[in-house]
Amino acid sequence: MKPPPFEYYRPSSLEGALTLLAEREEAKPLAGGQSLIPAMNFRLAAPAMLVDLNDLGELAGITAAGAGIRIGAMTRHSAVERDRRIAERAPLLWETMPHIAHPQIRNRGTVGGSLAHADPAAELPAVMVAVEATVLLRSTRGERRVPAAEFFTGLFRTALLPGELVTAIEIPPLPPRTGWAFEEFARRHGDYALVGVAVLVTLDGGGRCERARIALLSVGDGPVLATRAMGTLQDSDLDASVIREAAERGARDDIEPPSDIHASEAYRRQLTRVLTRRALTRAVARAREASR
Amino acid sequence: MTAGPYFGMRIPRLEDAQLLTGRARFVDDVDLPGLLHVAFLRSDEAHGRLRGIDAGAARARPGVVAVYTALDLGDYWRPGPLLVPPPPIPGLVFHTATQVPLVRDKVRHAGEPLAMVVAESRYLAEDALEDIAVDLEPLPAVTELEAALEPGAPLVHEQFGTNLAAHVHQVKGDYASARSKAHALIARRFHYDRGAAAALENRGVVAQWDVRAEELTIWDTTQAPIPIRNGMAELLGLRESQVRVIAPFIGGGFGPKIMMFYPEEVLVPWAAIRLGRPVKWIEDRRENFYATTQERSQIHDAELAVARDGTIIGVKDRFLHDTGAYDPYGLTVPINTQCTLLGPYVVPHYDSEFTAVFTNKPIVTPVRGAGRQHGVFVMERLLDLAARELEIDRVEIRRRNYIQPDQFPYDHQILFQDFRPLIYDSGDYPAALDKAVELIGYERFVGVEQPRLRREGKHVGVGVVSYIEGTGVGPYEGARVTVEPSGTVRLATGVGTQGQGHFTTFAQVVADVLGVEVGQVRVSTGDTREFNWGTGTFASRGAVVAGSACHAAAVKVREKVLGLAAPLLGVAPNDLVLAGGRVHRRGSPDQGITLGELARKANPLRGAVTPGTEPGLEATAYFGPDRGNAASGVHAMVVEVDPETAAVAIKRYVVVHDCGTVINPMVVEAQVQGGVAHGIGNAFYEQLIFDANGQLQNASFMDYLLPTALDVPTVEMAHVVSPSPLNPLGAKGVGEAGAIPTGAAFAQAVEDALAGTGIEITEMPLSPGRLFELLQAAQGGVG
Amino acid sequence: MIVEGSYPLPGSPDVIWDLLMDPDVLAKVMPGTKALSRTAPDRYEGTMGVGIGPITAAEFELTITLTDLQRPASYTMQIDGKGRFGFTRGTANVELASEGVGTVMRYRADLQVGGKIAGLGQRLLDSVSRMLTRQGLDALNRELTARLT
Repeated sequence: MKPPPFEYYRPSSLEGALTLLAEREEAKPLAGGQSLIPAMNFRLAAPAMLVDLNDLGELAGITAAGAGIRIGAMTRHSAVERDRRIAERAPLLWETMPHIAHPQIRNRGTVGGSLAHADPAAELPAVMVAVEATVLLRSTRGERRVPAAEFFTGLFRTALLPGELVTAIEIPPLPPRTGWAFEEFARRHGDYALVGVAVLVTLDGGGRCERARIALLSVGDGPVLATRAMGTLQDSDLDASVIREAAERGARDDIEPPSDIHASEAYRRQLTRVLTRRALTRAVARAREASR
Repeated sequence: MTAGPYFGMRIPRLEDAQLLTGRARFVDDVDLPGLLHVAFLRSDEAHGRLRGIDAGAARARPGVVAVYTALDLGDYWRPGPLLVPPPPIPGLVFHTATQVPLVRDKVRHAGEPLAMVVAESRYLAEDALEDIAVDLEPLPAVTELEAALEPGAPLVHEQFGTNLAAHVHQVKGDYASARSKAHALIARRFHYDRGAAAALENRGVVAQWDVRAEELTIWDTTQAPIPIRNGMAELLGLRESQVRVIAPFIGGGFGPKIMMFYPEEVLVPWAAIRLGRPVKWIEDRRENFYATTQERSQIHDAELAVARDGTIIGVKDRFLHDTGAYDPYGLTVPINTQCTLLGPYVVPHYDSEFTAVFTNKPIVTPVRGAGRQHGVFVMERLLDLAARELEIDRVEIRRRNYIQPDQFPYDHQILFQDFRPLIYDSGDYPAALDKAVELIGYERFVGVEQPRLRREGKHVGVGVVSYIEGTGVGPYEGARVTVEPSGTVRLATGVGTQGQGHFTTFAQVVADVLGVEVGQVRVSTGDTREFNWGTGTFASRGAVVAGSACHAAAVKVREKVLGLAAPLLGVAPNDLVLAGGRVHRRGSPDQGITLGELARKANPLRGAVTPGTEPGLEATAYFGPDRGNAASGVHAMVVEVDPETAAVAIKRYVVVHDCGTVINPMVVEAQVQGGVAHGIGNAFYEQLIFDANGQLQNASFMDYLLPTALDVPTVEMAHVVSPSPLNPLGAKGVGEAGAIPTGAAFAQAVEDALAGTGIEITEMPLSPGRLFELLQAAQGGVG
Repeated sequence: MIVEGSYPLPGSPDVIWDLLMDPDVLAKVMPGTKALSRTAPDRYEGTMGVGIGPITAAEFELTITLTDLQRPASYTMQIDGKGRFGFTRGTANVELASEGVGTVMRYRADLQVGGKIAGLGQRLLDSVSRMLTRQGLDALNRELTARLT
């Protein structure tokens, strides 16, 4: 489990990194390395050249962005997990952070790395889709802003173009009268979740569902927005039977989950049903609390 | 019986400072000038005919020193030894097929080594693996035990004309006629699947040939350095005294690191001699999933005959045992299964027959528990089912069938894995059960808490099971105790150590006999230069056999001390006391001499040593038990099951254990805690999943799930002490105990939590995905 | 591993049959195909490189042998692929049936997967095989549509 030879560059500026990536098609950016390095050690990945982003301080850090929040791509998971502003402004993300792998991995892994990697079992892509975050991309050609829902395009696939890097993610402020919840089921804490669900529910002035966002993970090629389940909730009174119906709808019609050695398709649908119901129940309770 | 100040005390482990501060030497820490590194090319196919290997490009790669295939080994190529021949059971059939160093004509399991690359670094060696072209004709693989025995099945070893590796039938009483008197017959099929030992440290070998001294030194992660030394000398045509094997600190053994003569183990020293440079191979985790032996696949068709009151009339068991592609370790595992099934119970009639089967899967040899799990699982599940059918409490049916404390020695009338009759030496099973039931609060749980929680919608359950662990088997171990002029006591023994606490427990035994502080005893294990008689660390025998040898050697030194000090101090030997590192006159602590000073006097530079005496304060002694002894215990666990997600949480875990006299309770409890972790892994998390083509589906820790500290509860423990009459310490083994009955306890507890669903658990391990399927099948889920 | 499904295609079974036998078309529609040639009337050999996310293109030497050719209704492919990451081999049955103005293609592949991909890739195998199948069929559809218009 030793990697094949590769060239290694560690630029000290974003411009330098972008130039390297623009010049060399085979260059692969290295962020926290929590997925790439094991793949290289298994000799499943053999990038001819690594561009290490770990000296790019300008890409790390959490800042306010209006009433929302902006997280630099090289911000470590553990920094997000410990930042009180995340708890206040992006509580769904805050609740999700401890579910991401193990503390050692969170100390090293980065937000941008996780998004760019786009593992279908990763938590952050689903959360970003749920909260309608915007992914900021840069290349020598300039900057682009891509809504999270459009950023994830398939199995480990994103809207990133050659030579482009994720530089930051912007999370809009939580609307009023909004509740949130994250649930996942993993064999052991920190494992790839068999199913996960990130939920945001916003009530209207009368206590009915103004807007619901349900994003699922580990049940498709990437984060899956459960649009049919969301439709079931829209304008409803969000009582237990509607929640149950929405969860059922999501498990039945919104996903085509894979089967693998850990979970059959049927088991993944069952977990989706149960976790969606539980997450919605908690999110609705929080939304009602916030509406008082 | 020793009863000094250290024996039985919770002495913090003497080796821990070294281990915890990173100063302990492991095999991979061995770094030598000019060291070369090895990588093995392993077969992707599980079964295939090798037509050729072209290593030309690999040999030409810069940094590559040598590439060896089977053809390059010449006369050195030969199958490994049969480590444990089959026991003398009448009618026994056994087909010997042992592993080969490199595949010459046929691949028999995925991961079998095809070629060995030696290079200036492991990186370069792995680069070169990709240069080697292999022409391998795939053959249909055989992986399922029943299918393997059907006519026309692909053959793993053509020369036998069958995939049957062994057939053994052991009988006690007359089950066939006894069963007609039964009130109820409980018959089921049980499955137990494979797991990995998954030691923290993988295997590794470093070898150095000293051309001037004509000596070969091998650092090896082996549990049995002396047999490896002897075997390697023979293989390489060297004198035993030319070979030194060092098993330094080892990060866990659990069975597969026994004297296997693994391909890598025999090839690395050979290459070091051939190349005249030191050579290192460190197994990586991916290799470990294929190249290190595994355990546990069996299928049992078992029947229990019981009387109306729950008394066992007899058991009949027919089982298939997966031995993998080769069977170098003989029949230890299935015979353990056969014997351990009887457990702590009176079973008047027993009819047990097994067939070991070759498959295109990695080799099976003992892994912590070594077949005992299966026997316990089958028997305990049968008792659970009988209890339910007869409407007898689960605890009560066990109590009614126990061998009673006054029935020892108790002869089960069949043969154990050590070729000796299965006779239990001592035990008090009802006492252990009472303690466990009390600790877990069984009555209150079943009567009050469980119904209350069920009303709240919580599905909780309890499991209580018993087991026997045959431990401390022969043939023998030895030890040498030396008092040095510094006052330090050196203790050398031949067993290897893999984290068991030998540096502490052996020191405790010796310190008491010689009246020294435990820290004054410096233990050396696993270096054949220090001690070169013995077998190794396995079968939960370290404390029993090597511990008793340490005791015997210390007693001999003590006699020398008394014999030398008596004339010096002018008193009779029995008027002397050994304490505080000194020997002194009874009642007059100031009239004495330190052991160090005495050691100096025992090794004079001038004058004469009395004829017939030996210089120094040193003695060597050996201990071989007449037969193995029977440790025992009861495990009880409480679980909560979420029937919607099939998640299982272990809420409490109680172990009451009887390993005879306890040398160091902390060490025993740590062994039990670790064993339980292993058992929980086998029950709920760990399963080596092979497809029908013999491909392992989860060859990394991403998919092969070991329980972590978050998943294993702290075990609540209590001891029952039934000293063994078979050794001077009264000790029994404990290394495997924790891992043995966990699956049975888990199944009972989960089933209890899901009472009313009709679910029946007859298989291990049980992942949540599988539990979900069982629930669906039982009644489409509950809740 | 079983990969099965059906896919509606424009055109008649005969038209599709010809396309499916054309190595140039196959090379275009089979994801990651770097080269493919017909080495015998019923045999194709080539190289494929499939890269998924961080997994660098896994290069496979691929041989496909056709048997049981029932033009234009059905045929069977013996697939044999081998590379550094392991191997895949097995059979795939393809059936073409006219339905309305077009054709429905039914496929069922029973594939063995071995080596590194089998040991390390289980979490993704199902998703990857579905994705590759979908990509292949979509490409075939595009190719057909282009030829028919």
